[in-house]
Amino acid sequence: MTVPVNILLVDDDPAENVIMRALMRKVANVTIKLHYVETVEAALEFIRTAELQLDLILMDNRLQPQADFRETVPELRHSGYIGPIGVISSSITDAYFQSIDDYGVDFRIDKAELDPTAIGFIIQEFVNRDSRAAQ
Amino acid sequence: MAALSQHHRRYDFEGDLDKALNRVDFFRLFHGIALRYGFEHFCVLQVAAEMEGSNLASKLVLHDLSAGLAETYDKRHRFSESDIYKSLRRSAIPTVWHARDENTEGEDAEHNLLCQLGFDLAVVVPLQAVSGARYAVIFLGDEGGIARQQHMELCYEANCVFDYFHRVVLSVRTGMGLTPRETEILRWISYGKTASEIALIVSVSEHTVNSHTATILKKLDVVNRTQMVAKAIREQIIL
Repeated sequence: MTVPVNILLVDDDPAENVIMRALMRKVANVTIKLHYVETVEAALEFIRTAELQLDLILMDNRLQPQADFRETVPELRHSGYIGPIGVISSSITDAYFQSIDDYGVDFRIDKAELDPTAIGFIIQEFVNRDSRAAQ
Repeated sequence: MAALSQHHRRYDFEGDLDKALNRVDFFRLFHGIALRYGFEHFCVLQVAAEMEGSNLASKLVLHDLSAGLAETYDKRHRFSESDIYKSLRRSAIPTVWHARDENTEGEDAEHNLLCQLGFDLAVVVPLQAVSGARYAVIFLGDEGGIARQQHMELCYEANCVFDYFHRVVLSVRTGMGLTPRETEILRWISYGKTASEIALIVSVSEHTVNSHTATILKKLDVVNRTQMVAKAIREQIIL
C-alpha cells in the first residue's frame, strides 16, 4: 500500500479539486496522489509529459469548449491513453450516459455519490487488479 | 436482457435499476441503499453448497469494504465458522446482528463476525438468483438497530438490486451470444494482438478489453485465448 495511486482530475472548476483532494485523504488503506488540470488539452499534455504511471482519470462531463464526454474521452483515447477513465457529473440521468461504453468510458458516477468509500471501491476495481498486478 | 414485466414490483427505483450497466453502477446502488438505511458498508457474497474451507475474500462478488480488510480477516479467522455464515446455512430468513448480543459470549464470541470485522450492527439478507444459486448481502454499520418497516424495505430493495446485478453482471454463461464489441475484440485477439494493443485500436481502456475477454472465455466455455480463437473459428463466429 506504499505505492501511491496516481489519479488525474480534469475539471474546469478549481473548487472541485479542493473537494476531491479532501475526499481522497479520507480513503482508508490507500495513498492517493491527486493531480489536477482544467482542460482536455492540459490532460493530454499531462499524459504526454508526466513521468509517472497514471492509474485513473476522473473527467468532469462538461468541459468547455467540448460538449460532454462523448467528445472529450475519445480525444484521450485517440492520444493513446488506455488506462481507466471515469466520468463524473452533477447529474448522470441523461440518456446518453447509457452509451458510455461506446466512447471508451469505464464508468460514470454522480459527484454527490463520490465519497471516500466510492473512491476506495473504484481504486480496487480499476487500479489494483490491472496495473498493479502487471508491476 | 429480457425486460421484466409490471408484475415485478420495483416501485420508484425501477429507473435506476434499468439503467445499471456495470459493476460500478451496482456498487452505486448497493452503497446508496447502505447509506439510506444508516449503514457504512455492504458485501454481496456467494453462499456455496460446500462450506468447508471457504474464506471471505473468495466468496465476495461485490463489496465496498476497505482495501485489504477481507484478506486480513481471512488470515485470522475462518469465515465458514462464523456465526453469520452458519446462520445462512441454516435458514433463508433475513437476520439482524449486534456485536454485543447477549448470546454471543464465551465460545460463540470467537466466531462473531461483527466483532471480527469491527462493526456494531449487521443486517443479512439471504438472496437467490434465478439460476437457483444462493447469495447474501450483508450491510455493516455502527447504528444501534433497525426498525421493522425499514428492515423490510431494506430487504426488498436489496433483493431487487441483486436480481439485476445477477442478470446483468454475474449470469454470463456458456452459449450466450457475443455482443458486437465482444466479437470485435475476439477478432483482434485472433490477429495476435495483446490487450493493450486492442485497447489502443478500439479506443477503450485495457481494463475494458480484459473484462470483455473474461466474458468471452465464459460464454465460449474455454480456458485461454488460444482455445478461444480455435473454438471461435470452428464455430464460425469469426472467419
